[in-house]
Amino acid sequence: MESHLASNGIVAALFLAAGVTVWMVRRSRLWSSAFVSLWRRRRFALLVTGVYVAVALLDSVAWVGGDSLAVDTVARHEARSVIDRVFGGNQEKSYSAPFAEAEFYGGGDLRYPGRHWLGTDMIGRDIFYLTLKGARVALLIGGLTSLIAIPLALLFGISAGYFGGRIDDVVFFLMTTLASMPGLLLLIALIMVMGKSTLAVCVALAVTGWVGFCRVSRGETLKLRELEFVSAARSLGVSEFQIVMRHILPNLMHLVIITFVLMFSGLVLSEAILSWLGIGVDGSWGQMIDQARNELSRDPIVWWNIAASGTALFGLILAVNFVGDALRDVLDPRTIEDER
Amino acid sequence: MTLMSTCSAARLLGLTSIWALAWVACNNNPYPPTEAGEKVLYSSFREAPRSLDPAVAYDTGAHAITGSVYDTLLEYHYLKRPYELIPGLATDLPTQRPGQAGYTVYGFSLRPGMVYENDPAFSLGMPGRMTREIVSADVAFELCRLADPAVNSPVVEPFSNIQGFQEFGQALTQRREEDLAFSNLPVHEQYAALGGIEGVKSVGDHGLEVSVRSDYPQIQYWFAMPFTSPVPWEAIAFYDGEEGRPRFADHPIASGPYRLQHYDRQSRMVLEANPNWYGAVHPEWAAPGAVYPSQGAPGDLEAGLLAPEWAGKPLPFIDRVEFRREKEAIPYFNKFLQGYYDAAGVIKESFDQVIDEGGLSADMEEMGIRLEKGVEPTIFYIGFNLDDDTVGRPGGERARRLRQAMSLVIDSEEYTRIFTNGRGIPAQSPLPPGLFGYDEAYANPYRSVDLERARELMVEADYPQGIDPNTGKPLTLSFDTYDTSAQGLLQYRFFTDAWRQLGIDVKVEATNYNQFQEKVRNGAYQIFMWGWVADYPDPENFLFLLWSDLARSKSGGPNTANFMNDRFDDLYLSMKSRPNGAEREAEIKEMREILEVERPWIELFHREDYALFQGWLENVKPFGMSFPMTKYRDLDPAERTSLRKDWNRPVVWPIWVGLVLLIALIVPGVMTFMRERQ
Amino acid sequence: MGAYVIRRLSYGAVVVFGVLFLLFILFFAVTSPDDIARKALGERVPPAVVEQWKVNHGYDKPLFPAPGHWADNMLVEHYRRMLTFDFGRSDADDTPILERIRKGMGPSLALTIPLFVLSVLVAIPLSLLVAFFRETYIDRAGVILAVLAMSVSVLLYIIGAQYLVGKVLHWFPISGFDSDPRVIVRFLALPIMIGVANGLGGDIRFYRTVFLEESNTDYVRTARAKGCGEIRIMSRHVFRNSLIPLLTRIVVAIPFLFTGSLLLESFFGIPGLGAITVDAIQGNDFSVLRTMVYIGSLLFVVGQILTDLSYALVDPRVRLE
Repeated sequence: MESHLASNGIVAALFLAAGVTVWMVRRSRLWSSAFVSLWRRRRFALLVTGVYVAVALLDSVAWVGGDSLAVDTVARHEARSVIDRVFGGNQEKSYSAPFAEAEFYGGGDLRYPGRHWLGTDMIGRDIFYLTLKGARVALLIGGLTSLIAIPLALLFGISAGYFGGRIDDVVFFLMTTLASMPGLLLLIALIMVMGKSTLAVCVALAVTGWVGFCRVSRGETLKLRELEFVSAARSLGVSEFQIVMRHILPNLMHLVIITFVLMFSGLVLSEAILSWLGIGVDGSWGQMIDQARNELSRDPIVWWNIAASGTALFGLILAVNFVGDALRDVLDPRTIEDER
Repeated sequence: MTLMSTCSAARLLGLTSIWALAWVACNNNPYPPTEAGEKVLYSSFREAPRSLDPAVAYDTGAHAITGSVYDTLLEYHYLKRPYELIPGLATDLPTQRPGQAGYTVYGFSLRPGMVYENDPAFSLGMPGRMTREIVSADVAFELCRLADPAVNSPVVEPFSNIQGFQEFGQALTQRREEDLAFSNLPVHEQYAALGGIEGVKSVGDHGLEVSVRSDYPQIQYWFAMPFTSPVPWEAIAFYDGEEGRPRFADHPIASGPYRLQHYDRQSRMVLEANPNWYGAVHPEWAAPGAVYPSQGAPGDLEAGLLAPEWAGKPLPFIDRVEFRREKEAIPYFNKFLQGYYDAAGVIKESFDQVIDEGGLSADMEEMGIRLEKGVEPTIFYIGFNLDDDTVGRPGGERARRLRQAMSLVIDSEEYTRIFTNGRGIPAQSPLPPGLFGYDEAYANPYRSVDLERARELMVEADYPQGIDPNTGKPLTLSFDTYDTSAQGLLQYRFFTDAWRQLGIDVKVEATNYNQFQEKVRNGAYQIFMWGWVADYPDPENFLFLLWSDLARSKSGGPNTANFMNDRFDDLYLSMKSRPNGAEREAEIKEMREILEVERPWIELFHREDYALFQGWLENVKPFGMSFPMTKYRDLDPAERTSLRKDWNRPVVWPIWVGLVLLIALIVPGVMTFMRERQ
Repeated sequence: MGAYVIRRLSYGAVVVFGVLFLLFILFFAVTSPDDIARKALGERVPPAVVEQWKVNHGYDKPLFPAPGHWADNMLVEHYRRMLTFDFGRSDADDTPILERIRKGMGPSLALTIPLFVLSVLVAIPLSLLVAFFRETYIDRAGVILAVLAMSVSVLLYIIGAQYLVGKVLHWFPISGFDSDPRVIVRFLALPIMIGVANGLGGDIRFYRTVFLEESNTDYVRTARAKGCGEIRIMSRHVFRNSLIPLLTRIVVAIPFLFTGSLLLESFFGIPGLGAITVDAIQGNDFSVLRTMVYIGSLLFVVGQILTDLSYALVDPRVRLE
C-alpha cells in the first residue's frame, strides 16, 4: 500500500476519533467540566500543543501531482504533503544564516536570498521546513508507541486485575521481568536486533514502556472489581466481557489519558537519545540535534540548526508536560476529592 | 567573648576551605600540574585499537602506537617527496639478485648489537634476562606469524608473493589438525618443526634473505610497515592472555624509539622514550633512522624544517606521548583550542568541520595555531555493483549509459567544499597525485558536471527524464550503507539530491553492519561508497581494487564493484611487475581509459592529510600515509605553559551575579513568610 | 520475617531466570553468530577462522536442548555462564568482560554516588520548601521551573553546559578523567552539576506531590488545628510519613548507580560502565551489551528486595507476611 494513502487514512481516522471524542465529552457532564477546568488552567499550553498537532496533520495529508513549485521528476511522482508544497523545494548548496542574502561560508549567492527564516543546514536544506517536518515525526513516535503500548497494557492489566489467579501470576511475572531490565539498554538491544526503522523504534519503545501503565491499570482494576456496582452486575449474570467493557474500562479512561500525555514527552525525549546513538528515527528533532552537535565547534559558529530543533523539541515537551500536569490535577480522583 | 571568637574562627576556617576547594576545582587543566615543564606530547584517540599485534594491526588508530613502538627494517624519509625509503633496523636498502625461476632474492642485513625493550618475558630464554639482541630469525618468525592462519593477519594476500608462504600456512593447518601433540607446542616450536617459510632464510644472526616473485617488487614497501618488524618468540609464548598475563595484542614487546608504558583502552595510552632503542644506545652510529634529516624536499628549508637546532641531531626529541580518549568531537576540539592538545589527534575527522576552506580563522591564527596540508594516497569513490541487473553488466549498454549519466552529476568539488571544507582533490581516476601514473593534465570527461549531457545519456539509456518505461515511474535504485551517523546520512543525501536532478530516485538503505554484510554477501546491493588508503605509494596498490580475481562475488576480495574486464586484467598483470617507465605509463593510461567509459566507480576525491597543531609544536610535516612520525617532532613546554595560562583564566563574575540573584529570589519569600507568621 | 525474605529472594531468582531467557532470545536466537563473528573479524578471513572464533566465544553449539545434547547447547551454556559470572571475552576486541567491568565500576561510582547524594540533598529540601510555601508565588514558580527543567533534553544540557562552563568560563576541564583524588573533583564537578540539574525538575515535582498529599491528611490538619508550628509539622509529620514513597524512589535508583551514566560518561570521557556500554552499542559488541543488561537487571532485582525490606525498617505499619 502506498504510504501516503495510509498516512491520509490515519489523518481521517484521527479526525473521526476527534469528532467522536468531542461529542462524548460534551455529552458527559464530568468530562466536559474536566475539559473546561483544564482549558481555564492551561489555555496557552493547549493552544501550543494544538499548533504542533496542526503542523503534523498538515504534513500528513499528502497527494501525488500538482506542479505548483519547481520540482524535479522524482518529486512529481512522489506524494507531497501540504507542508512540502508550501515550505519545501527551496534548497541551497550549503549553510546560510537566518534571513541571509549570501552563503555563510564563502559568501556565494543564494538561490532564495532572504527566504530562509531559520537558515539552512550543511547541505542547504531549509531549517524552518525541516523543523516543521519534525513535528510529524515527534507525534508519530509518541502516538504510534502509545497506540501499541496502551492497549497492550490495558489488556494485560485488566485481565490480570480482573481475573486474578494464574493470569495475574503470569502477567505479574512478565511485568517484573521487563521492568527489571535497564530500559534504555533493552530498547537499544531490541532496535539492534529488529533493524533500524520508525516502526522498530516505536515497537521497542512500546515494549519497554507498557509495563508502568500495566501496573497502574492492574491496581485500579483490582479496586474496581470489589466495588458494589461491579459485584451487583456480576450477580445479575452480566457476562464478564460486558462487565469489563461497561464498568471497568470506562473507569480507567481518565488514567489512559493521563498516562498517554505523561508518557508522550518521555518517549520523544528517549528518541533524542536514540538519535545520538545513531538509531533514532529519520527526520526527528533528535536527529537534527545530533547532526548539529558538532556545528557548535565550527568557526564561525553555526547555531541556528541546534537552536531551531532544540527549541521545537523543548516547546512541544513543555506544552505537553504542562497539559499533563493539569490533566492529572483535574482528572485524578484523589486530587478531585481533596478539592471538594 | 570566647564563644564569639571560636564561632568566627570556625566560620573563617569554613570559608577558607570552601575557597580552597573552589580553587582546586576551578581550574580547567586536565593534566597534573607536575607535567608542565616536561616534553610531553598530548594527543587523543577515539576508539581504542583492536589489537597492537604488528601482524594484525592495520588501522590508523593502531598504527599510532605500533608505528612508534615497532621499528622496521626500512623506513620512509621524513621530509623527501615523492616518498623515499631509507634503512631502519637494516644497515642498507636490500640487495637484489635473481633466485629460482621467477623469483628475486632480497638480502637484508640487520645492525648488530641492537636489543629489545626490557621485559620479564625474556626470562623465558634465560632466567633473569630482561632483554636480548634483535636477530634476523625474529623477522623470519614474524613472517611465519603472518602466514599462520590462526594469527588472522589482514595482509596475507600481498605476502603470498613470498616463496612458500601459502604452502607454509597450509602445512601448519594440516599438521595442527592431524597431530594434537604438535598443535599443543608453543608456536615458535611449531614453525621451527616445519622448517619455516621456504623463501625466508636467516643468514647468520644478522642476515636475512627473502625470495619473492619477481613480478612483485612492491614487497619492499611492506618492509617499512610494522607487519615485518622483528618479534621475539618469547613475547608470543609469554603473553598468551592466561593466568592474568595480558595478550600479546595488548602488550607489545618491541625495539622502537618509544615503548608503551601505560595502556588503558578506555581512557589513556602513554608512550615513553625507549632507553634500549639503538638510536639512544648507539648515537655514534648516526643511523639514518635515528637522526633528524639534514636534507629535505624543496621548501622545507624555508619552512624551518631543516633548522640547525634539529638537522643531524639524534632522535627522539619528545620524551613522552600521552593519548587521551575523546569520544565526542566538541570537547575534543575545545580542549585543543584551550591548548590542552598539541595537535589534531589520531582521528582527525572532527577537525574537518572547524577549519574553513581558506584556512584558519583569524582567532586561531592569532593563537599561533598552524595548518599544514598534503595529499594522501587515498581514493574515495561511489561504486556500482556490476553484478546487478539494473546498474551492472547484465544491463549492458543501457546500464553503462546510466552509470555515465550518474557520474556526470556528482560534483566532487562541491562535495569536498561542504564535507571536508575543501580539503581534498577532486578525483579524475583512481590514482592520486604523487603516484607514478598520475597525470595532472588528465580530465575525465565523465567527472565534470554536465547536466545536459547526463540527461541526454538518460534518454539514450531509455530512461527519459528518469522514467523507467516498464513502470512509468522514476527509476528507483538503492544506496546501501551501514553508516547510520548523522553526518553519514547528510552525505548520502547530497548524492541522492544530485541524482534526483536526473529523475532517479535513489533510496538510502542504512542498516546495521550485520545486515549490510548480509546484503554484500548475497550480492543484494546496488550502489555503495568506499574509500581506500594505500599501503604503499605504487599504482598497483590502487588498480588491484578492480582486478577481476579479487571480485567480491568471485573470491570475496576487495573488488566490491565486481568489475571484471579481460583487457583491464591483462594490463593490470603486466603493469604490476614493470618498473616505472614509458611502457608502464602507457598501460596505466589504457586502464584509465577503460575505467573512464565503464564507470564501475564514480571517483570522488583524494583526501588531503592535514596537520593542525599549536605554535609550540615543531617540525611538523604531514606525512600522508598512516605512520606516526613522532620521533621527529619537538615542542617548547615553557611556551606551552604560559600560553595555556593566558588562554584559560577562569571567568568569575557569573558566580557573584548568581549569588545576588539567589538572594533576590529568597529574601522576598522569607519576608512574606515572616509577615504571615506575625 | 525469615520466610518473607526467602520468598522474596526466590521470586527474585525466578525473575532473573526470565531476564536471562529474554536475553537469550534477543542475542542468540535472533542474531546469527556468523554475523557477529564477521563483524569482529573483518570480511576477508577464511571460514576456518570464523569457526575457530565461534568455538572460542561459545557460539558453536546448537541453540536449544534436544535429544543428544541436553546439556551441551547454547541455552544451558548461556545460563551457566551468566549465573557463574563467567562472562567470557568481548566479541569486538577479545578483552575479558569481567575485568573491564571491574575497571569501569570505580569511575562510574565516582560519578554516580556524589551525583545521587547531591540530587537527594538538593531535591528534598527544595521540594519541602516549595510544599511549605504552597499556594504562594514560590510554589507556582517552583512548579513551573521544575516543568521547564524537565522539558529540556539531556543532550542540550550537556552541550550547553560544556560550552558555557567549560569553553567560555574556563571553570572546569571540558572533559577528561583522572582518579587522582587531588584532581578528581575538577573532572567530576561539571557532569555532576549537569546530572543534578537534569534530574531536579522531575524529583521536585514528585516529592512536592508526595509532601502535599501528606500535608492534606487528617492528622496533619488536626496537628495544625492544635496550633503546632508549620515548621514542626513539616519536619515531624509530613516528612516522616512521606518516607515510604521517598524511599521507593530513592532505593530503587541505588542499584543503577553501578551501571553508570551513558551520556555523561561518553561526553565527559569518564571511563566507566556507561561509556563501556555505549562503546558496545556502537561497536555491535553483543557479549558486552547482554552482560550489561544482565547486570542491570540483577542489581534491580536486588534493589527491589532491599526496598521491600527497608519499608519495614521505616514504617511499622508494613508487616512482612
